Amino acid sequence: MADPLLEVRDLSKRFASRAGRGPSPWVIQGLSFSVKEGEFLTIVGPSGAGKTTLLNMIAQIDTASGGEVRFQSEASPLNDPKALNPGLSCRIGYVTQEDNLLPWRTTLQNVLFPLEVQGRLTAETRARADLLMRAVGLADFEHHYPHELSGGMRKRASLIRTLVYDPPVILMDEPFGALDAQTRMQLQEDLLRLWNLGRKTIVFVTHDIAEAIALGDRTLVLSRAPAHIAGEHIITIPRPRDIRGIMTHPEFGALYQRIRAQVQ
Amino acid sequence: MTARDDVLDLPREGPLQWRRYGVTIGRAALLLLLIAIWKLGADAAGPMYVADPFKVLERIIADTQSGTLLRHVYVTLRISMIGFVIGCASGVALPFLLRRLPRLTDAVEPYIMASVGVPKYALVPLFILYFGIDDAPKLWLVGLLVFYPVFIAVFAGIRSVDRRLINMARIVGASEATIAREVIWNSLMPFFFAALKIALPRAVSAAIIGEFLVGNEGLGYLIEHSRQNVDTTGVFAGIVIATAIVLIINAVLVELDRRVSAWRPIAREMAL
Amino acid sequence: MTTLEHDRDGARLNGPAGVVRARANQLLVLVALFAIWQALSMKLGVYWVSSPWHVISRFSAGVAGGDLLRHASYTLAEAAAGFVIGALPAAALPLALRRLPAVTAVLDPLMVGGYGAPKLALAPLFILWFGIGIESKVALVAITVFFIVYFSALAGVRALDVKLVQMAQVMGASERDVARHIVFPGAVPYVFTGLRIAMPYSIGGAVIAELISANRGLGYLVQLGAMNFDTTGIFTALVMTTLIVFLGNWSVNAVERRLLRWRPPADLRMQAGS
Repeated sequence: MADPLLEVRDLSKRFASRAGRGPSPWVIQGLSFSVKEGEFLTIVGPSGAGKTTLLNMIAQIDTASGGEVRFQSEASPLNDPKALNPGLSCRIGYVTQEDNLLPWRTTLQNVLFPLEVQGRLTAETRARADLLMRAVGLADFEHHYPHELSGGMRKRASLIRTLVYDPPVILMDEPFGALDAQTRMQLQEDLLRLWNLGRKTIVFVTHDIAEAIALGDRTLVLSRAPAHIAGEHIITIPRPRDIRGIMTHPEFGALYQRIRAQVQ
Repeated sequence: MTARDDVLDLPREGPLQWRRYGVTIGRAALLLLLIAIWKLGADAAGPMYVADPFKVLERIIADTQSGTLLRHVYVTLRISMIGFVIGCASGVALPFLLRRLPRLTDAVEPYIMASVGVPKYALVPLFILYFGIDDAPKLWLVGLLVFYPVFIAVFAGIRSVDRRLINMARIVGASEATIAREVIWNSLMPFFFAALKIALPRAVSAAIIGEFLVGNEGLGYLIEHSRQNVDTTGVFAGIVIATAIVLIINAVLVELDRRVSAWRPIAREMAL
Repeated sequence: MTTLEHDRDGARLNGPAGVVRARANQLLVLVALFAIWQALSMKLGVYWVSSPWHVISRFSAGVAGGDLLRHASYTLAEAAAGFVIGALPAAALPLALRRLPAVTAVLDPLMVGGYGAPKLALAPLFILWFGIGIESKVALVAITVFFIVYFSALAGVRALDVKLVQMAQVMGASERDVARHIVFPGAVPYVFTGLRIAMPYSIGGAVIAELISANRGLGYLVQLGAMNFDTTGIFTALVMTTLIVFLGNWSVNAVERRLLRWRPPADLRMQAGS
């Protein structure tokens, strides 16, 4: 049995206490889980439970108050803000809730941005970028600026911007949350299709149980603060998944009920 | 490489509070450093170019005691205030008037905006030609320089009044005058105050610069006259007082604004 | 009297028809202004108010002869040099001090004081120091422009979206990458606001210094006209001054439009008010 690619052990987080108010409550406490290579893990939890905080810590853009995160069995210190290594030297990709596209770059320039910054802009990587743009239907919008794109298109651009440099692990924070139901389903299909091409390791956080079931190999349930893993569910629905008809699958109902019961 | 960029504001609490003291000490040190540089500059460049700070202080005290400084300051402030009132009154009245004459407004607006481009200071010699060498040209200058920011602010403010509030007032039977007074005037308060913050110090500056060009009294006259006599100490003394007055006015306005706006949910700012 | 073109509160109603009519009215006003001017000059005499014809012919003669343009170029040169000398360090300073908030905080009272203080009151001092030549004008313009652009640039650096920085860091950007790709482009719109505000001050500052003491430039021409009771000369110089202010505005706007094509329209609309 191979070691998990990513392992979270006993992670805890509380924010700095304000002067004169005593210690602040734990946002996350004793949170542990692991992710195997090539696995699509979804994490479900109520809004405000600390999902973003969790991902921020794994991506090392925020400190942890306790516990550790191991990548390929290597732990990084998470308690010292100056020692943080955001993205773990480009090994952990992070698709955030907001698209965070740079407004002054065209769509193509935005997608190429990580390659530029990492010094990996070659004919080969450019071709990969073109391929991804075509795969999500953005090929005709290469030279548009973000403000000229719809919300869905910006999301797609933000998604392939992380995919283009191929990090071994990709974190996703409710990437489709702000979109309408139709666009969301389309993007879920796109995501699964792209994931199939490379079978990357994905940790996908959402508050939508149906989305978690539709996309994941395994779903973890996050409890309310102090957040920890309240439950684990293997998604027994075989791939390839039919996003639009997922709810009609016989296994769906039971899974949904079980997960819903745990999400208070 | 830190994960979170340092927030540029000062930390207000916690273990980093000592940084606030550090900044205050730094500012005090900067002040002393600037005065030291001034003194060194005076020693190095000679009294004709840079007046010795202590001599400047002496001169200010002497002039205050003899009353001449007070006289000049009074003259400048008098012109500033009268011009300010004139400019303000017209800057407020005209938009309200134009509001009732929309076709005229449309026709005239581009010319008013174009006239902003005329440097008003350049008109002073013309004013002197027309109105003589007493207060009048300076009053025109101050009036115009106050008029424009106030006019633009009130004009924009009136246009941006929430139409629904006006309709509501009409429905409940308010007269046009009441609407102007109650709804429009209150809605444009933030714009008006923003303009005042700019216009009041500008009025004082304008008076001073007007006095560079005409007249035989006032802070501006003091500065320019000293220059012509190569009385550098006098030039510095005048500049110090002029700067101090304008900075005090600024500080008072900022404080007033803070208090008046304390209840406002949204801080409205206008770049003028 | 309500018309079909505006509602009760002055907002223009009709689309294209209203615009055409407004333009026609504006043209009418222009003609009326000239007519009034002509009437005044006939009533009060050319000595007092000059006349449209006199100014136009003097202006054309001045441009054709090169004289007017020469003086205009002096003023323009003073304004442009001062503008660049003042704006460059003012824009660079907040960027350079981005990682040193303590230093920015220490400097703050100095900058606020400098911004609030009447820089134009320094004109006699600069003339004392640098003489009546170009240097005193350039210095005055530079110091006026500096404080305006400094605060705009500071706002631009402070408006930094931390999320964009984090995103870039996750993707492997170094400090230099962040400064170059995130902070700098983000600050540019704000700096341009400052440049736009400072531009008229630069020409105004040059003219004022020339009014006080100079032997070249448009301000000098205005003073010359005043001393010779030559109203036509004054007006001609004023028209030229206004023209170069418009030219300056147009240039800054043109450059801004080119550089900031990426801005969402909502921002542009808000900018238009300033």
